[in-house]
Amino acid sequence: MKTIVIGAGLGGLLSAARLSKAGHEVEVFERLPITGGRFTNLSYKGFQLSSGAFHMIPHGPGGPLAMLLREIGADVDIVRSEKTSIRVPLEKGKPDYTEGFKDISFNEFPSLLSYKDRMKIALLTVSTRKNRPSGSTLQAWIKAQVNDEWLIKFADSFCGWALSLKSGEVQVEEIFEIIENLYRFGGTGVPIGGCKGVIDALEEVIFENGGKIHTGKEVSKILIDNGKAAGVIVENKKYEADILISNLGHVATALLCAEALSREEDAAYLKMLETLKPSAGIKICLAADEPLVGHDGVLLTPYTRRINGVNEVTQADPKLAPPGKHLTMSHQYVAPENVKNLESEIEMGLADLKEIFPGKKYEVLLIQSYHDEWPVNRAASGTDPGNKTPFSGLYVVGDGAKGKGGIEVEGVALGVSEVMGKILS
Amino acid sequence: MKINDNCVGCGQCASFCKKGAIEVKGRARVTDACVECGICIPYCPVKAIEVPA
Repeated sequence: MKTIVIGAGLGGLLSAARLSKAGHEVEVFERLPITGGRFTNLSYKGFQLSSGAFHMIPHGPGGPLAMLLREIGADVDIVRSEKTSIRVPLEKGKPDYTEGFKDISFNEFPSLLSYKDRMKIALLTVSTRKNRPSGSTLQAWIKAQVNDEWLIKFADSFCGWALSLKSGEVQVEEIFEIIENLYRFGGTGVPIGGCKGVIDALEEVIFENGGKIHTGKEVSKILIDNGKAAGVIVENKKYEADILISNLGHVATALLCAEALSREEDAAYLKMLETLKPSAGIKICLAADEPLVGHDGVLLTPYTRRINGVNEVTQADPKLAPPGKHLTMSHQYVAPENVKNLESEIEMGLADLKEIFPGKKYEVLLIQSYHDEWPVNRAASGTDPGNKTPFSGLYVVGDGAKGKGGIEVEGVALGVSEVMGKILS
Repeated sequence: MKINDNCVGCGQCASFCKKGAIEVKGRARVTDACVECGICIPYCPVKAIEVPA
């Protein structure tokens, strides 16, 4: 069986590693000189910054990505974070951190509610596991249950950090799938070596099994023969394959086989492509001599203008920064209408950081923004259209085809597992 | 180097620039330190870097 993978991002390399291990002849074509896509390291001033993701795996060593890595035999050490905390104003009702703050643990979020609302949350925690809410956004659902502004702020910071969306943009079903996954798999973890630790381990498996990875090689066309994937064109050369896996998202994949998509039965697929919306976000990378967060998990920051949360990966892997330094990264959601105002969005993020870390010394290393063609997610969480295309043997993986309830790379892993199930069954 | 409107501001180019000649804030900007070596060009994921005509 010959499989060609288009794009060496996380989804592409997971697929290539799994299939090469299963005996497929695998060839990966990557347009850039480096592999890993938005899930690898960028060396910058002695720090291991990242090309996208936050050197963090949402469900740590117990989640779908970790399980798939184990199935593949990729040797990655994932350190489970000790906690997730939430920074809240010292006094309830204050709008920001300027008059002092305290950190509470993620599970303590109901402690800021009235007695009556705490009881309501306790009951909902039990009842929603059997009867999952559906049919509205998370924000609308919360407002119908407990009318407390804190819960909306908390939901926005969580959705912003995990999905780069606002609670009013996420379907409540998707969030309850995520909550179920938190029960099932646990919270975050940091891969040793950062994102590239995962990418290197996958490439090792691919090479061990005779697979090939070509960098700096752009696929210019996907060949379809009689409704079936047939191969690709790279630099005017034809490469035949039985199976094609695209890591480019549905839209870019469709553009590579646009001629073949002119059949009557393709109309619905083409219409669906128009509805896909990528999510946008900004990452600010900080260098500090003293810890800013102080633990290796996420610090959610609901009482800011823009920043949703911060992590400090050097708490788990000090080698991601020069000796004695810390690498701290903040994430902020960017609303679709603000993508054109990135500079002012960044200014608000920088002002937030001063309030989150008052009196602390840090240097802004690099500010990275993601949207449109190089987004946070090619398909906003909860809107992923699955891994199939109108052509047999052509599948899409990656953050444009995540599995249900899968946060970021966990969704990528769920999507890849789905495709592997179809190919290897 | 010239940065076109494809730029999203991901900063990937800045990490590969040997001269520290790229500043990023919402989008990349080339400073006077640029020697037009062109190393950054292939690393851009959205084909935003062009050699000036």
